[in-house]
Amino acid sequence: MSNTGTRDRVKDWVRTAGRVPREALYLAVIATVVLAVTGALPEFRAYEWTLWAIFGLLAASFAFVWGHAGIFSFGQAAFFGIGAYAYGAAGINLSPATGETLTALLLGTLVAGIAAAMLGYFIFFGSVGDVYVAIITLAVTLVLLTVMSSTADPKYHVGDALLGGYNGMAGIPPLMLRAGTALDTRQMFAFSVILAAAVALLLNILRRRPFGRILAGLRENETRTQLLGYDVRRYKLGAFTAAGLVAGLAGSLYSAWGMFVNPSVFTLQQAALVAIWVLVGGRNSLLGAFVGVALVQGLSTALGGSGDTWTPIILGSVLILVVLLLPDGVVPSGLRAVSNVAPWVASHRLPRTVRSRLLQRESTELRDVLAARSGQFKPKRLEGQGLVKHFGGVKALNGVDLRVDAGSVRALIGPNGAGKSTCFNLLVGRYAPTEGHVRLDDDDVTRLRPDQRAAMGIGIKMQVPSYYGALSVFENLWLASFAALGKVEDSNRQALRVLRWLGMDDRASLDASALSHGEHQWLEIGMVVAGAPSVMLLDEPTAGMTREETHKTVDMIRDMSQFTTVVVVEHDMEFLRQLDAPVTMFHQGLVFAEGSIEELRKDERVLDTYLGRRPSIDAAG
Amino acid sequence: MQMDALINLAVSLLTTVSILVIISIGLAVVFGMMGVINLAHGEFLMLGAFFTLSGYRAGLNIWLAMIVAALGVGLVGLLVERLLIQFLYGRLAATMLATWGLSLILVQVVVLIYGPSTQGLRTPLGTMRVGDYSMSQYNLLLIAVAVALLGLVFVVFTRTKYGTKARAATQLPHMAAAVGVNAKMTNMLTFAFGATLAGAAGALLAPVAGVLPGMGQAYVGRAFMTVVVGGPGVLTGTASSAALLGTVDSVVSNAFTSFLGTAALLLVAIVLLRFLPTGISGRSGRQL
Repeated sequence: MSNTGTRDRVKDWVRTAGRVPREALYLAVIATVVLAVTGALPEFRAYEWTLWAIFGLLAASFAFVWGHAGIFSFGQAAFFGIGAYAYGAAGINLSPATGETLTALLLGTLVAGIAAAMLGYFIFFGSVGDVYVAIITLAVTLVLLTVMSSTADPKYHVGDALLGGYNGMAGIPPLMLRAGTALDTRQMFAFSVILAAAVALLLNILRRRPFGRILAGLRENETRTQLLGYDVRRYKLGAFTAAGLVAGLAGSLYSAWGMFVNPSVFTLQQAALVAIWVLVGGRNSLLGAFVGVALVQGLSTALGGSGDTWTPIILGSVLILVVLLLPDGVVPSGLRAVSNVAPWVASHRLPRTVRSRLLQRESTELRDVLAARSGQFKPKRLEGQGLVKHFGGVKALNGVDLRVDAGSVRALIGPNGAGKSTCFNLLVGRYAPTEGHVRLDDDDVTRLRPDQRAAMGIGIKMQVPSYYGALSVFENLWLASFAALGKVEDSNRQALRVLRWLGMDDRASLDASALSHGEHQWLEIGMVVAGAPSVMLLDEPTAGMTREETHKTVDMIRDMSQFTTVVVVEHDMEFLRQLDAPVTMFHQGLVFAEGSIEELRKDERVLDTYLGRRPSIDAAG
Repeated sequence: MQMDALINLAVSLLTTVSILVIISIGLAVVFGMMGVINLAHGEFLMLGAFFTLSGYRAGLNIWLAMIVAALGVGLVGLLVERLLIQFLYGRLAATMLATWGLSLILVQVVVLIYGPSTQGLRTPLGTMRVGDYSMSQYNLLLIAVAVALLGLVFVVFTRTKYGTKARAATQLPHMAAAVGVNAKMTNMLTFAFGATLAGAAGALLAPVAGVLPGMGQAYVGRAFMTVVVGGPGVLTGTASSAALLGTVDSVVSNAFTSFLGTAALLLVAIVLLRFLPTGISGRSGRQL
């Protein structure tokens, strides 16, 4: 699914919402096949394959949260176990009265989802690092193992359901859709496979929706995503919760399938299995999750009796070998080996259908790009008042007042260590000032996060290159557009307009990482412009550029400055002369001088500290 | 409350805290100094316990058996670093997955050699009476050893050539390499040192905990939470977070049951991270 050619990728991206998704067709095919073969299946096969489908669903939830959203979580096994126990408890208590267990299935899923949401809240809203996410989910799993194993005493029960300690919870009712009649083995097989397929296909649709695209952006570059104005914490929490729900559903099905659950669902070995399935099938493929389960489980069945003794050793060795030798996954590596034998020439232009449908209508005028943010767009004044920033003992800024009026351009210059970048980062919101305020028009934004400032109209290009390397140029611009516009169709058009304005439409389908250095800078400027910001902050936009590239960049910034407020940090004097804008010079954490570049060139102090002077004839003589 | 009851309570609390320090200090060294998450830490600890058991049964004095066991695990750590970890620096998820695989293998290998059942080791030293209470002298020893281990880590990282190099390599790897620190060597030694500490933890726990192949899992969750809550500071972080979490665990365990104590520890740790995402020592940056 993810290995389609570059052309299809953009076509996929621009695909309009509202159509019947192709997943509906897949589901219909799967359902038909399953219903057709179920009758002919031997009962033990149906029983075994039901388990594979359930495990496949669990693996798909892990592939989604890790492979797609980039969150490495050990928690999927835990949510699976929580779902299993919750279904058991709900089924034992409710089914005598209602005669069905569909409610229990729903409850099991929900309880796991709520557990995921609560845990996710603390993890992601505390903004703990990636390492900690893995460790916390691992610790939760292990503690659940300890806690559930210690509940042998009959006083630990949920209604009529005894938790049962290490021996587990017995007497769990099978799946009953209608009052009083349990599904037989073959019906359970058909039900589980179709449900698992439906949920996995739903996840696949989700990956294409804006939510899923933003997750892909998060995975590639979290900082950039936040600077574009997305609240990354909410998206991570959403992905984590969705995966928790799916794992909970799988757990509920598991418990209905086996009519029994014990704490072994919380062991590290179980959690390791989930990772192995996904590593074998490829971490970024939902279909691969099911393939991985079928391969690994099929193999361990084939190995047969000695399994119990050797299973952990084999599992452990597989983990180590895959990580060392095939980090992209076994199946994807195999597929790539095949496709390398028969390569095809990929075009990096937009697919013709997309071009004819959308591109020709789009103007290349920046005015139209900026007007896309209807009603909201207007240049704003950006002001820093008495900004002080200390890093430990280092006084990077010592009280800077900077006022850039709405619709004007300002260049910030100064020697290394003068405080330019610190000042820039305070305006952006990457650091909080030790003292002082940052204002956008009349709003005090000093305490706002970068994404909140972006939402208010501050667009940022950082000094360090920051884009989505594994996404296409078009996708990069789309994510920037969507952050500001919030509508799929509008964002498609906006991304295309910016692409044209940059003069890069022949690069649309190329991975952003494949661009040249200058093109990277333009792409990032494009990403700023796509958000139609009221203030643009550009940190060293021409660093490392050739003379021609610098020239083109100056034209872009001039164009931008006609419509919006621009603040540029630059070293390149040639650039500053071409730009011909008022300059603020920093020195030792203070504003040292302000004026046009010509005025500064005449200022003796500026010449001494920064610009330097020609060796004077007197001195030489 | 009577004086003797108070002393008893204090000793029980300090023991819990000390055990947290002992089981997490090795993990903290490897994570704090190298940024490597070793999921086989619990199994290193388990190996330390089994090595002690074997040494003791082979006729070694119990204390000598413990020291030999810790050094033996250090050797295992050295091998693991050379054969596995060194290929995975900078790949966080990959390191976790590989050490995870390693932990599964180690558990099963020990099951194959020693069998799956719990083995006992007599608790050395006797008990002593304080008022109406009798307390194990071994617990008092654990408290002293926890302090000694913290001291050892401090001395190794501040008073030896290796320690200075290791701290340099932690702060600025490129700069350290540029001034001639052999990062390969320091990483190898740091990992082995961490493994030795894990082995020592297992050796120390062997007489008071059941020695069984799955014992690593029982400790590793708590060890990880201690390190996470402590943050990047190996000594300050570990000591302060062990004190905090150990107190929570001890108080809740005494009031209710021990598994609720474990659950409370986890809960407090998670809530704490919501407000101190980089841990207790996070603000002061990466130092000891």
